[in-house]
Amino acid sequence: MGDTVTEQPARGKSYVLRAERITKIYSDGTAALKEATVEIRPYQILGLLGENGAGKTTLTKILSGLLPPTHGRVISPKGPVRFTSPREALDFGIGMVHQHFALVGTFTAAENVALSHERPFSQLQLAKTRERLAALMEESGLHVPLDVPIEKLAVGEQQRVEILKVLSRDVNLLILDEPTSVLTPLEVDVLFSLLERLRDEGKSIILITHKLKEVGSVTDRVVVLRQGEMVGDVRTAEVTSQKLARLMVGEALDEEVDAVELRDEELPSTRRRAEVDRSGAGVLHVENLVVRGNTGETAVDGVTFDVYGGEIFGIAGVEGNGQSELVEALTGLRTAVSGVATIKGTDVIGMDPNRIYRLGVAHIPEDRWVLGLVLPFTLAENAILGIHRWERFRGPLSVLRRGRITKHVRELMDRFDIQATGPNAPAKSLSGGNQQKLIVGRELAKDPAIIVASQPTRGLDIGAAHYIRQTLQEMCDRGRAILLVSADLDEVLAHADRMAIMYEGKFMEVCAPSDLGDRERIGMLMGGVGCEEMS
Amino acid sequence: MTETRPIESRLLRGVHRTLTGLHPALESLIAALVGLLVGAILMYIWGFDPWKAYYALIRGAYGGSYEWASSIARGTPLILTALTFSICLRAGMFNIGAEGQMYMGGIASVLIAYFVLPRGLHHIVGLILAGIAGAVWSLVPAFLKLTRGVHEVISTIMFNWIARWLGLYLTIFVIVDPIRNEKTLSIPLSARFPLLVRGTDLSYTVFVAVAFALLVYFLLWRTAMGYEVRAAGLNPTAARYGGIHNRRTMFLAFILGGISAGLAGAIIVMGQPPTYAILGGGGMPQLMNIGFDGMAVAMVGRNHPIGILVAALFFGGLNAGGRVMQFYGSNPVPLEMVRVVMGAIVLAMSIPELIRLFPMIRKRGEELIRLLRRVGRRGEERKAS
Repeated sequence: MGDTVTEQPARGKSYVLRAERITKIYSDGTAALKEATVEIRPYQILGLLGENGAGKTTLTKILSGLLPPTHGRVISPKGPVRFTSPREALDFGIGMVHQHFALVGTFTAAENVALSHERPFSQLQLAKTRERLAALMEESGLHVPLDVPIEKLAVGEQQRVEILKVLSRDVNLLILDEPTSVLTPLEVDVLFSLLERLRDEGKSIILITHKLKEVGSVTDRVVVLRQGEMVGDVRTAEVTSQKLARLMVGEALDEEVDAVELRDEELPSTRRRAEVDRSGAGVLHVENLVVRGNTGETAVDGVTFDVYGGEIFGIAGVEGNGQSELVEALTGLRTAVSGVATIKGTDVIGMDPNRIYRLGVAHIPEDRWVLGLVLPFTLAENAILGIHRWERFRGPLSVLRRGRITKHVRELMDRFDIQATGPNAPAKSLSGGNQQKLIVGRELAKDPAIIVASQPTRGLDIGAAHYIRQTLQEMCDRGRAILLVSADLDEVLAHADRMAIMYEGKFMEVCAPSDLGDRERIGMLMGGVGCEEMS
Repeated sequence: MTETRPIESRLLRGVHRTLTGLHPALESLIAALVGLLVGAILMYIWGFDPWKAYYALIRGAYGGSYEWASSIARGTPLILTALTFSICLRAGMFNIGAEGQMYMGGIASVLIAYFVLPRGLHHIVGLILAGIAGAVWSLVPAFLKLTRGVHEVISTIMFNWIARWLGLYLTIFVIVDPIRNEKTLSIPLSARFPLLVRGTDLSYTVFVAVAFALLVYFLLWRTAMGYEVRAAGLNPTAARYGGIHNRRTMFLAFILGGISAGLAGAIIVMGQPPTYAILGGGGMPQLMNIGFDGMAVAMVGRNHPIGILVAALFFGGLNAGGRVMQFYGSNPVPLEMVRVVMGAIVLAMSIPELIRLFPMIRKRGEELIRLLRRVGRRGEERKAS
């Protein structure tokens, strides 16, 4: 902690809101915030930086009235304030744009904004709102089609509707929770220039992020949270990203910080590796695969690719462009409509997950809470999910051999450095990183020929993410085929031997990361702008 | 992270996990005490002396070997119907059908009166028939759920009524005793479970129930099959990812639950003096509500076979002690008060979940009031102008 950096307020006590010694203890006893004090000033974009679980979202939820603090208070220049609902905070001029949008898909932008205002909802109200929105769009330079149903808009546009919704309430403080996670690089640029313009008009903005790069490019001031404590409050111009990374991860190993720096440079992988024999069909061979999504839409629209032993094949792209459906179709959780998918020559379409696993497939699922783990189960019970019918673990009458299972779990805990109180700790008591290591360990114990890893490092702290990437790399070096699907573009660029960018169910391009071109071009591919259109 | 989940999975989660964060056994104990307290308050309001009443109740339930035997005897069928609910809940379903499955089991066990078989074998055949009948009765809702998506709560409740009236019809008109037509044929001597304690109604059936509870514990917590059932119950998506067939686990749970309820019916008929038959008059009074009471026992027993054994002993004690309470000298509290206590216990078990609902209700209410005020104000403005 001795490392705390605090900026002395230079220009008197001008603030719009001040969170004073806020402590938040959730009902299960976890302290999400410990005496954090943050001052929000006008004409400033404040970056709220921290790893997952550092308390960023909790702090903003308290500011925007979603959660009450356990101790501490929020004060405005006029005195202490206490919000019991987001609506009260909004009336006070504090608006938050959440990661998951609260929009009605079949309503237009104008209708959605009108809906958030007054009730009852009337035609007259709608006309008024439309007028105001048009004026607001002119003023802020934030343009969205007002009369198209939300579901027909791109994610970036939907986000702009959310921002408009908040702005139309005359907010002074705009809070954005990881707004860039759903955007293409080009959309990020548009968003950031908008934020800068709003700042210049005198608004305060809080940008929650765990990406150092974003902090450097748009914020004026950074507050760093680590495990609920405020560990730094600095001017962006006066700090290096190394310093911020160190603050964020604490007294981290240099190796981990190096990993951060490496990621910052965004260099495509230059690692030397053995030549991969790419003749014939790969371990995984996919041809013209078509998969439908939950609502019957065509989610995967005829993709073709091979993944060979000894290589990492990456699939990048903004989330929701069919990656999940593709992975589900390959691992037996969803049945493809048409096309071919074979693993080691066996057709897997329509096969159940258990038989696919027996072909030598390990699956690190994208959602560890919904798919990967049975949270109330113990570590030991989770460590055998999917392999619980192994001869090793079963005695006569199909009785589970507890001794052997415990031994297996202890081995996993040692090998994958899973921090837990013991094999009988409930999986939900583990941190996200340890949960993910448990899944990775379990899947690798299957000694797979191919590993399908979907968002394997999402939401993990730098240390755990680094470890998991390294493990995948090792498996690759040992001749396993790896399909890496990630919304983290940098991750795919740094680790894939070949990669594809997925947009609306199609592959925009399949090539080595170094052949993709500059970031602008990658951004356009992620946004669905094809090669021909660009030139 | 805010998650929105269907209410049903939230309820399920509430049952699996303790609601207050206390140890589950302690939570059940508190609920039992709250139930007794509510009962005491009501007794006080109606002019009874709660101390005397509970003294009589506890003495009547656990005051001596005769009382213990009666309490255990009354708890025995509850163990089995509670297991029905718990097994299905562990598999992720609300099986409300123990009542109907138990009727079917009882009826099936009467059928052994038509066969002459050697002692020993006769018992086993009776139990097997009852188990099959219960399982078959529970398979229909299971099929409806898996093929047509009919919710098991709806179908099992409906099947309870079908079973009830079908059972009554069979009792009165088909398997009726030609000499004494207020009851069915009696179970032959060679198929009656002998009494364990002379002069009480505690018979060897208690071993059947306890053995079945231990078997369920073993199946669910020690075998790969039970592992699959529990995994599918807690997180069906993850179970599917782990290669578990959710349909199979559902079927298994329904079948096992049906067998359990069927056995409950059988042991009431085959092990309860003096009639060893189903009485038709009054709508099969020996069987009535045993299935529903089993759900309360399951809740207090935290859906764990061992917990259920303890909870069944408690509920059996309430029933047995209640009979003493209503005849206790100067302070005769009606037997119905015992049912009030049972109801209050079940409510107390769900209070933590209710408390979580209150802020939500308050918020909605406040919003409504604000809206009404605004509308009212506008009306006044309009009038003024």
